[in-house]
Amino acid sequence: MTRRTHSHFVYITRALYCILAFIFMSLSISSYASNSDKTTLRVAIAANFSPIAKQLIPEFTKESGINVEVISGASGALFQQIKHGAPYDMFLSADAIRPKALKDNYLIVENSLATYAIGKLAFWSATHVINNTHSLPEVINRFPRLAMPNPDIAPYGYSAKQVLVNFGLWTEFKKKLITGINVNQTFQQIRSKAVQGGFVALSQLKLNKLSGLEIPQQYYSPIKQQLVILKRSSNQSAAHQFAAFLYRKKTQQKIASFGYTAIMPTTDNKPCCEMTTKTVLN
Amino acid sequence: MNELSFTFNTLFDGFELSVNQTIPTQGITGVFGHSGSGKSTLLRCIAGLEKRTLGEVTLNGTNLYNSRSRYFIKPEKRQIGLVFQDARLFPHLNVIENIEYGRNRSKHKTLFTDDVIKLTQLEALKYKSVTLLSGGEKQRVAIARALLAEPKLLLLDEPLSALDNTSKQFMLTMLLNIQQQLKLPMLYVSHSMAELQQISDNLLVMNKGQVTHFGNVHNIIHTLNNCQSITQQTSLSLPIHENLPKYGLSSLTLAPNTYIYFPLLTSSTKSETAYNNIRCFIAASDISISRHEALESSIVNHFQAEITHIQPQDNTVLITLNCHEHTFYSSISLWSAERLSLHVNDLIYIQFKASAVHSLADIGML
Amino acid sequence: MIENSDLIALFTTLKMASITTIILMIIGTPLAWYLAKMKSRFKIIIEAVVALPIVLPPTVLGFYLLIAFSPEHLPGKLWQDITGQQLAFSFSAIVIGSVFYSLPFVVQPIQKAFEQLGDDILEAGAVLGANAFDRFFTIVLPITKASFITAASLGFAHTVGEFGIVLMIGGNISGETKVLSIALFEHVEAFNYAKAHMLAISLLIGSFIILALVYLLNYSPQKIAKMSVKSSNKNRDINKA
Repeated sequence: MTRRTHSHFVYITRALYCILAFIFMSLSISSYASNSDKTTLRVAIAANFSPIAKQLIPEFTKESGINVEVISGASGALFQQIKHGAPYDMFLSADAIRPKALKDNYLIVENSLATYAIGKLAFWSATHVINNTHSLPEVINRFPRLAMPNPDIAPYGYSAKQVLVNFGLWTEFKKKLITGINVNQTFQQIRSKAVQGGFVALSQLKLNKLSGLEIPQQYYSPIKQQLVILKRSSNQSAAHQFAAFLYRKKTQQKIASFGYTAIMPTTDNKPCCEMTTKTVLN
Repeated sequence: MNELSFTFNTLFDGFELSVNQTIPTQGITGVFGHSGSGKSTLLRCIAGLEKRTLGEVTLNGTNLYNSRSRYFIKPEKRQIGLVFQDARLFPHLNVIENIEYGRNRSKHKTLFTDDVIKLTQLEALKYKSVTLLSGGEKQRVAIARALLAEPKLLLLDEPLSALDNTSKQFMLTMLLNIQQQLKLPMLYVSHSMAELQQISDNLLVMNKGQVTHFGNVHNIIHTLNNCQSITQQTSLSLPIHENLPKYGLSSLTLAPNTYIYFPLLTSSTKSETAYNNIRCFIAASDISISRHEALESSIVNHFQAEITHIQPQDNTVLITLNCHEHTFYSSISLWSAERLSLHVNDLIYIQFKASAVHSLADIGML
Repeated sequence: MIENSDLIALFTTLKMASITTIILMIIGTPLAWYLAKMKSRFKIIIEAVVALPIVLPPTVLGFYLLIAFSPEHLPGKLWQDITGQQLAFSFSAIVIGSVFYSLPFVVQPIQKAFEQLGDDILEAGAVLGANAFDRFFTIVLPITKASFITAASLGFAHTVGEFGIVLMIGGNISGETKVLSIALFEHVEAFNYAKAHMLAISLLIGSFIILALVYLLNYSPQKIAKMSVKSSNKNRDINKA
């Protein structure tokens, strides 16, 4: 390199460094700034519900002026993080077990544990056309292998196992199962067409505008998705407001349209009891 | 047809190798050049270690390489040995395993391991790990290893440059012995004219990637004297006359009843090969000239000679003389030459001390 | 005590790691040689590609492999045509995934050793009549032995610890794709902490023993003896011709 081109090179790199430093600084400053403006609620939400939550939140913010930051993840992972001190205000789990575990560990605000949605199970294939005109046993028998969430660790998996047991198909299919760690992984696996069909959440089908077979509720116990407000939260009143918003009739109707069963709301915006269902168990 | 012919025309980093030469594959051919002259590269090309050259190589009538027709015989198939400057022994094998490496891969096995070990005096070190050897020992193993592979031609790339003086003397004697006994043609590269003068029959001189001289070693050295590219010297090969241990001197026969005295030969410095002939050289600056014979001088070597050529060089003068049918060179100051008003065909006397006559005995000190 | 399903997971893990390591040694050695001897500028590109699995999140690699192995796409389809079996969620799938994932851990140590060896000593072998294969097996291999042991143990250990990729492309099938790391994760998720601890500690002890054995092998008694002879020789005068 000649002397001239070398000095140009040095000049350009120095300019680049300055620009980068400026961008970095403004980003960090702006993040500080946004925090001090309004209250921001940090909510950890199970991955299968977070797309729906994100659609509901703008209305809540408009109404209450409270910003909501969504941390989406697997319920198991979020649970572990919360147990070990993660700075969240609320936790919307995909099951009932983890909220209960948090309650047993005295990590929640008293009486804040409640169901916010009831998940529904569906059967879906990305390679074959399945819809509600088909019957489950007839459909299942077409497939050499099935995908479902792991019944030992995922609530949708547990329910899927119940379904297979109720149809007397469990012993036959349990050797041909591909199990995922949660219903999201199962959905990915089916979508990749690596396995031809399996059990997913109805909400996943609705969100992606896909059609599948909605499994009648009597074949499995309802998948209660529950939330808790964390004791260590410094935004507890904002959290209560958000919970109340979720229990509201109008919100529940919206949630139901996404493939869930609505909970029965009460007039004072508190959850009461869930809809009774006829269940045929194990 | 016992000859090696090669042609190379290639650009390497830093210099261009441009040679076209045929040399007889008998005895030892020395290759002289200063660093960067291309002599090591030449050896590598002949051995087949440089693939991207343009040219050809033919050994004893067999074509080994022709870049035009893309004909290339791999180094492992050329039966050309190469002793590297840095020995390059295999660290995971001991001495005898290293030595037999080549033998295990050669077609004919006429040489015996024990014979070669004796030739290179490695009996005591047979099972030693090569990483524990001294520089001289390593080179001996490298030479033994190359010999046992029974190549048709042995190339040596500055094999002694990393050694100390005593080792050099020993190794040169050993190499001469080997050459005589096995009749193995060798190509010996060095930047030390002293080594080459002792060992070569023919000498190839290289400079800046080209061959500048080729011929009998004494003739070439004398030719080079005029170019001033080496230490100017008189190079001779003379029969031994007698040894005088009392005086620490030996003598060589220059002419009937005319003898040159030089430091006493010991058995270690006399190679068993050249039973009668010793090679020696005398630096031109060590030979002085006088108009009168110094009969009562402490200098033992004085002879009459005729001036055949006078060549002024800067502030010295190189005088070529004929002394008993041998060519001698003397370098004197310009001032002395003028004072003595020397002319061609003048009969004068040359003198030089016994210690000025160098042979294998003091090769290390040069 | 360790339950049966965990033992199955153990055997599956060992099987996967062993086969992966063998495959990697077979394809990694020529690759390492090629990279060590290559002088063109493509070398940098290929080295970067080989090193990619070190920095790439396993889930990214797993994601693309999942897509590639499904019977809808070429690799998965080809496999199905040739073997008649589906590639996705099979034992072969996790072996192939592990091969990609552990490739740099096997190639790099061997490549470094080949580079350190240089060309000088190979030229010496060539002029003594050894052809390329001969030179590799009689000169290169014995001298770079240690690097092969390092590469194999690194590759093996890395594969045993693999989680992200097997999670994506494994399908958690007992006896085929359910490996120890997945079994451990499941125990934690299901709140079976006692079983999780058991598994984790056994994994730790097992790895430690294997690594210790490997390093013991590497430093054979002869080497240790040589090392002490060398240091005592330094004081000896060995300057003789």
